[in-house]
Parts: sequence; C-alpha cells; structure tokens
Amino acid sequence: MAELALNNAIKRYGATQVIHGVDLQVEDGDFCVFVGPSGCGKSTLLRMIAGLEDTTEGRMTIGTRDVTHADPARRGVSMVFQTYALYPHMTVRENMSFGLKIGGTPKAEITRKVDEAAQILKLTDYMDRRPKALSGGQRQRVAIGRAIVRQPDVFLFDEPLSNLDAELRVEMRVEIAKLHKQLGATMIYVTHDQVEAMTMADKIVVLRDGRIEQAGPPARLYEDPDNLFVAGFIGSPRMNFFEGVVERTESGQALVSLPCLGGVAVPVAVTAALRPGQAVKIGLRPEHFEPGGQIQVDLNIEVIENLGGVSYAYAAGAQDTHPVIVEMRGTSRPTEGGALTMGFDPAVALLFDSETGLRLR
Amino acid sequence: MSMTDVHSAPRANHGADWDQIRRRAKSILVHGIVLALVGLMLLPLVYMVMMSFKTSTEIAQDPLGLPDSLYWGNYMAALSSMGYLRSVLNSLGITLSVIVVVVFAGAMAAYPLARLENRISRVIVMVMALGLATPNFVTITPIYVIFRDLGLLDSYLGIVLAFAALKLPLAVFFYTSFIAAIPIELEEAARLDNCNNWQIFWHVIRPLLAPVTATLSLFVMIMVWNDFIYPLLLLTDKDKLTVMIAVYKFVGNTGIDPTKLFPAAVLGSLPLLIMFALFQRKIMAGATAGAVK
Repeated sequence: MAELALNNAIKRYGATQVIHGVDLQVEDGDFCVFVGPSGCGKSTLLRMIAGLEDTTEGRMTIGTRDVTHADPARRGVSMVFQTYALYPHMTVRENMSFGLKIGGTPKAEITRKVDEAAQILKLTDYMDRRPKALSGGQRQRVAIGRAIVRQPDVFLFDEPLSNLDAELRVEMRVEIAKLHKQLGATMIYVTHDQVEAMTMADKIVVLRDGRIEQAGPPARLYEDPDNLFVAGFIGSPRMNFFEGVVERTESGQALVSLPCLGGVAVPVAVTAALRPGQAVKIGLRPEHFEPGGQIQVDLNIEVIENLGGVSYAYAAGAQDTHPVIVEMRGTSRPTEGGALTMGFDPAVALLFDSETGLRLR
Repeated sequence: MSMTDVHSAPRANHGADWDQIRRRAKSILVHGIVLALVGLMLLPLVYMVMMSFKTSTEIAQDPLGLPDSLYWGNYMAALSSMGYLRSVLNSLGITLSVIVVVVFAGAMAAYPLARLENRISRVIVMVMALGLATPNFVTITPIYVIFRDLGLLDSYLGIVLAFAALKLPLAVFFYTSFIAAIPIELEEAARLDNCNNWQIFWHVIRPLLAPVTATLSLFVMIMVWNDFIYPLLLLTDKDKLTVMIAVYKFVGNTGIDPTKLFPAAVLGSLPLLIMFALFQRKIMAGATAGAVK
C-alpha cells in the first residue's frame, strides 16, 4: 500500500485540454472517491493514474516512486473496469491468475494467492466457470479478485457498480467497503452516484470540467461546501438556493433579505467583507426546514414524494426553475396543493457569492 | 350481453379463422419457395451423383433417368486413372497451408489496423478492400511473371504463397471488422496484467477470433480447393496437381467421358463436403458472431 500524489497533472488531446492542473494527495489506506457530472474528467483522471492515458504535463507519484510516464503494469496499480473486462475465453481461475502467470510468478504462489482471493470474495465454487456462466455480481467479484491477487499499491475502480441492478449495487457497495477495511489498501473509486461516494469514501474529490472543485471528507463537503457547485452536487435531494440581497452588515454578521421567500431577513454569520446591496445566495438543505424554526416561511406545496419514513414536499417559490424541497418526518404531512409554513435556523444557512459562486464564510 | 356483442362474437371468430388461414397459406408459400430454391441448388449435385452410378449404355439411353443400380465400376475406373489419393493430398496440403498462412498473417495484420486510428492504417485498409474487388484474371500475368522470376513455379511453396497473397485481403477484411468490435477494455486489462502487444494479441485477441477464423477458413478452403486457374498456371508436375486439375483431365479436346468425369467430380468434391459437415456448427457460429449481443 502507498500514498498517491498528483502534482499539477494536465491532460491534453491535441489542442483540447481536459484535465487542468490537478493537485491531489491520497493518503495511504484511504478510500478516495472521484465524483462529478458526466464529462467532468473523473474517468480520464483515473485512467491517467492507471497509465492507460498519458499525462501530458505534471508529476505523479505512488509512494516514493515517480510513475508519471511509467508503463501501466509497472505502477503497482490494479483496475476494476465498469464492464468488468474479464477475458471471456478463460475460467475464473485463469482470469485471476493471468497477470501473475504473465509476470512469471511461480505456479504454487499463483495458486495460493488466487485461492486466498477466491476465499475472500466467496468465489471458490465458481473457479472453473467462464464469465458468461456467472451473474453480474459474481463477474464483478472476479474482476475485484483479479485486482487483489496482484497485491497492488493502489486499487482503481471505474464505476464498477453501474452495470448492476439496484439491489446488487447496495450489496456490492457494502462488500467493497468491507474489502477496503480488510485489506487496508489505498483505493480510488470513480462514480457519478453520490450515495456511493458519501457511504464509501474517506475522501471525496468533486470534479467539474477537469478541475477539482473541492476535496475532503464526505461530511465536510456536505456541511461545509466551498462553492455553489459542490453544495448543489453533494446531497440528495439537492440543496435549495435562494437569491438574496445583503441589507446591512454588522460585527461578523450580515442581514440578507430573500425576496423569493416573501422578503424574510436572515441573519448569517460571516467574516468576509460584504457591502449592502450585494447579490448573494442562501443555501438550505431540505432537512434544515422544521416547523419550529426561527425564520418562518410560507410555501405552496405542488408535489409530495412519500418515501415511507420520510417525505419530500416540492414547493414553488425558489430561484429559477428549481422548486423548494422540504424534508418532512412524522405522520402529520400536508397535502398537494395545500399551504405549508416551515421554519429554519439561520445558523445552518450557507452564504454564497452570486457572481463567483464561492462560499462566503 | 347486448345484441351487438352477440353478433360481433361470431364475426370476431370468423376474422380469427381467416387470420389463421392467411398465416398458414403464407407459411406454406414461404416453405414452398425455400424448398424450390434448395431443390434448384441441389439439382446439379444430385445429377452429378446420379450420373456417376450409371453405365455408359444407361447414360446414352436415358441421360436424365435414375440409374438401374449403383454401378461402382465408374468409380474404380476414375480412381485408377486420376491418381486420386495423390491429388487429394496435394489439394489438402495446399489448402491447409494457405489457411494457416492467411489466418495468421491476416489476424496479425488486422489487429493494428483495427486499433490504430491514423491515416496510414485507414489507407492500408482501403488498399486491402481494393484487393478484394480486383478480378482474379487481372493478377494472373503479374503473379506468373513474379513467381517465374523468383523461381517458384511448379512448387508447393509458390502455389501456397500465391493463394495466400490472393486471399489475404479477405482475411484482413474479416478480422479487422471483428477485432474492432472487441471491447478495448480487454486489452487495457491485459496491459495492466503485464502483457506487451504481442502477448495481448496471442493471449487475449487470438482466442476470441476462433468463430470468425472457422468461417474464414471455410471460405478460403472452398475458394482454394475449387480453384482451377492458379494450379493450372503455376503447377506442371503431374505429381503436384490438385484434385480439380485431376478431374479436368477427363474433359477431352473433342468430348467427355461421363462415366469417368462424374465419379471424378464426386470424388473431387467429397473431402470438401465432409469437412463442411464436420465444422458446420463452428462455421455458422462465426458467420453470425456479433449479430446479437
């Protein structure tokens, strides 16, 4: 196991730059998840780490080794592909042992390592089967097994669960998390599913247009996002944003009025320099609304999504086309088309600069 | 039940009956056409087999009739005068050698051509496609001159190389489209598994080409086995002649002897039919490979 460091990593295809000077440190044994919308560069960055894409500029180290331009097989990484990429003409055992065989590992050692990995992944009963005779989950386990036997410094996962059905995805998510604990290995995992990111990661890296928007533990990204993009991307349902105007500032506090919520004034703690009349945005998560909250707002419910233990009310009144989303628990729930008065604690409101999208702290 | 329902129920049944009749008629028609086509295609073969068992008197009296009995004497005569075993072995040796060369050279040429996305590889694929479209007769003279200059006339190596060169475009065309459909992730996984380009080709790509190789081999086998022109052009030693040239020996300048020509033709086609029957399943698998996921 080893730590991974990217230093100003750049990737260009001809004149088009897709990764813009990424700096990243993944600690030894960390489970790091790359998330972001489609086309943000998360898979490209992973493939650069694997050596399947050249790094145009910058430096990449695994442990103390500079692997910027090293051959994929010499980097000490193993990759689990989205499509599993199992060799269809080989049995499970052959798939798992192929890399070691090519590398010249003695037969007895190959057998020992493959059997060990098969036991960890509960694959011992399927060793003589070909991939086409396995279910999606079993194939995924074989792909992971193939990665394990090489005992890499860093495991790379490229959206490994996206081809599985919902139930199997949850099951495999737990299995991968368990595996991480068992092996204590450094793992980098690419997904567009933020539930996977939030539940599995020690560290989440949010990417947009080939740049890191924010990197840190899941709880920090959720509670203390650096900008509107991260605040909106992390969390499901997404955070509500309200256009506001700074009315006045005084001793570490700004009073922000929200015209879209009937002009309520929200006192927000902030040390950044603000001027009266400045356009800002207030961010509130759906669970921040509660009946007894200090700042009360009236909402018209359009749709209610009942998920059993929790419901989400979608109300008109927020900025642009996005409705206000309010989380409700308990048995007393309003009906669609009805009015709802909810409140929130101003201490949980997050303040953003409307122009730059950056967080104002 | 309303009156409308009462009246509409038999009408609905009536409609269903008509649908069934129409479907059955369509099925009979389709089967009839297919059977007629199959019959048409089998007719020369059946005629050839039928004629091979007739005596010369039967052929003269009733050329289209069935033989009175299976007369094996024609086969004995043909076998003794055509050098059957020798010519079949020649054909078999030449055909299999051509298949081996074409399969290996074709697959190895196709692999980079399918994966490299540059102008040179596209031009090479186009040139190969042109090779497919070139009529056989155009290449007769150049091949003869080149092989004469190389001293490869009347040699097994010469005929094998000539056929291999002629069939290589077909192999490259076959393999290029097949390899292009193999997910690139398999190769990437192999690269991570420490494979170099040759090992990727040998351990990962080559085994996946088995179904298409079976189909290609069949095509090449039929073309080489049945080819008449190049063996006639490049081979002169009667011990090196292929089975098709041996059959042709029964076609004289002034007439033919059907009691020898037909059994010789049956004997000449027999090895090909046996091989086709043996590998039919693999050949069909290759022909339909990639058609469905």
